[in-house]
Amino acid sequence: MSGYDFDSMKVLVADDSQPMRSLIKSFLFGFGVKEIHEAGDANEGFELVRTEEPDIVITDWRMPPTDGLDLVRKIRMDMESPNPYLPIIMLTGFTELHRVKQARDSGVTAFLAKPISAAALYRRLCTVIDDQRPFVRVGKFFGPDRRSRRRSEPYMGAERRRDSQ
Amino acid sequence: MADRAQKFEPPNRLSRKIRKKGGPSPEQAILRALNAAEDLIDSYQGWAVDDLTALWKAYEESRHGTSPRDILKMFEIAHGIRGEGGSFGFQLISTIGDSLCKFLEGRKKLSAGESEVVKVHILAMRAVFKQDLKGPQPAIERELRQLLALLRERMG
Repeated sequence: MSGYDFDSMKVLVADDSQPMRSLIKSFLFGFGVKEIHEAGDANEGFELVRTEEPDIVITDWRMPPTDGLDLVRKIRMDMESPNPYLPIIMLTGFTELHRVKQARDSGVTAFLAKPISAAALYRRLCTVIDDQRPFVRVGKFFGPDRRSRRRSEPYMGAERRRDSQ
Repeated sequence: MADRAQKFEPPNRLSRKIRKKGGPSPEQAILRALNAAEDLIDSYQGWAVDDLTALWKAYEESRHGTSPRDILKMFEIAHGIRGEGGSFGFQLISTIGDSLCKFLEGRKKLSAGESEVVKVHILAMRAVFKQDLKGPQPAIERELRQLLALLRERMG
C-alpha cells in the first residue's frame, strides 16, 4: 500500500523555537518532503512566503515579538502576498475554545495541538491536501469557509451569515 | 446589516500537485519520520536544561516582588516547555508545563504562597528529567495532573 507522495511539496516552518523547527523538519524529511524553509518569526516567515512561494505553511502561534496570527493575516490580506489561498497549519499549545476561534477567524486552514507527534503531523498534512473548501471574503475575514459541509471538522459555532438566516 | 459573503475557488489546489499514491505508506512515512528525528529527540534534554534554568532564574527574580512582566516571562517559558516536552517524548513535562501555564495565565502578581506553586512545578520538571521519565506514563500522569490541580486550587 502506498501513500501521499510529498516529494514535490515545498514547506515553510515558522517557529521561534529552534528545537521545534528541527523536529518538524526531521518529521517532514521522513515523510519525503525535499524542500523545507524555516523562519524564526512572522516577518521572516512572510519574507520567505514572498521569495520561496511554499505550497504549505506550518506556523507556531506564539513567536514574540510578533505571532503566527500576524503571519496568517499577512498571507491572506497583504497586497504583497503571492498566494492568499496558501494552506496554513497553525501549531499551538493553546487549546481553549476562544483561542481556537480566534485563530480560525484569522484564516488558518487547520490546527495542530502541541505537543505534536509524527503521526498527527502526517494526518494533518493529508487533511490539508484534501481540503476542498472554498475561500470566503466576508467583512474583514478572508480564509477557508468556516462553515462548509465539505470541511473535515464540523463547524460548531452559531450561524451568523445573512444568507443562512 | 451583515456583510454578504463572497466565495472564491482557490486557483491552485494542493490536491492537484500532490499525488495520493506513489509515496511510502502512512506507517512507513511515520516510521521514517521518527527515525529521522531520533537524534534530535535524544538531544532534547540538553536544550530543556536551558529552559528550566531560565524558568528558575525568572522565578528567583520574581520572589523579590513580582511584576506582570515577570509573570509573563515565566508564562512564556512554561508555554514553550509545554509544547516541546511531549513533542520530544517527555509527556510529563508537557503535563507539568500545562499546569504551570494554567496557574500563571492572567495573573498580575504572586504572593509568597503562589510563588511556591511555581517552585513546585519547576522541581517536578527537574525530577522528571532526573528520573528520565520518557514516553507515555499514564498512571503517573493522571496522578500528577490531579495533584497539581489540587495545588493550584488550594494555593490559587
